[in-house]
Amino acid sequence: MTPYEHEATAQRIENSLRKCGPDDYEIIIEAAMLAGSHWLNARLHRLGATQPTQDVMHTYLLVVNELRRLSVADPEAVGALSTIEDLRPAYVRGAHAGGKEAAQRALSLLELIRASARSS
Amino acid sequence: MQIPGHLKKIEKLNKLRARLDPLDDFELWFWATMMSGTHAVNAALHHAGVTEPVEAYAMQPGVYLVPQPDGCLVAKFGALGDVLHVGRPVIEAPVPEDVHQMMHAMERIEEHRDPCVREGRKPTREVVDACEQAFGECMAILNHRCPLE
Repeated sequence: MTPYEHEATAQRIENSLRKCGPDDYEIIIEAAMLAGSHWLNARLHRLGATQPTQDVMHTYLLVVNELRRLSVADPEAVGALSTIEDLRPAYVRGAHAGGKEAAQRALSLLELIRASARSS
Repeated sequence: MQIPGHLKKIEKLNKLRARLDPLDDFELWFWATMMSGTHAVNAALHHAGVTEPVEAYAMQPGVYLVPQPDGCLVAKFGALGDVLHVGRPVIEAPVPEDVHQMMHAMERIEEHRDPCVREGRKPTREVVDACEQAFGECMAILNHRCPLE
């Protein structure tokens, strides 16, 4: 996908987020992960770190060397997406206490990734 | 997770699905569908005795976050509890026919995941209808095994 297409999809997901309330913390975390990955891909394509044919889906599916390489391109955004992903087992798949707070954390991290993408 | 925990998640996600427009909000509608269906498969697998209904949260196949008495979570290797997606991991044990049908329904839904959520293919009414039909089949079988409130 091109940077523009990634940004449009991320924006669509963020528009849909407006229909979710604080109790929907599972989907808020997932939406932050999905939109965040689209913003990050737009950023990495614009930096020339990845090609439009080579999208990152999850940071944990990257081989270690590629994760290190992309972290050189934008360490904060890559780290933010990784942190969102780490919220999923406990609060999305699981029922650990603190889901609403975790969702707010995910939204803050999404803001960071979006701001990074818009700066390029 | 244990079966009541899965059923609670399903009820939440199904209420959310009803608030989302399948086309305008496709990405989140689809994701809620997939998450709810995966919880349904996990509940049915536990109910059938195929997988363990333990309070442990799947990180990746074979690795779980396990709640501790002090409220912390610790990552541990463990026997198969919850699957992350149908096929992740592959279940080697025999699966009852009705649960197999649920898993097949989820595979039909998940085949639209990457193209329509990750790769930019525009979702169509046909895709939505196919997902809705498969999801309905999955929920109907779950309701037979573990009725939702």
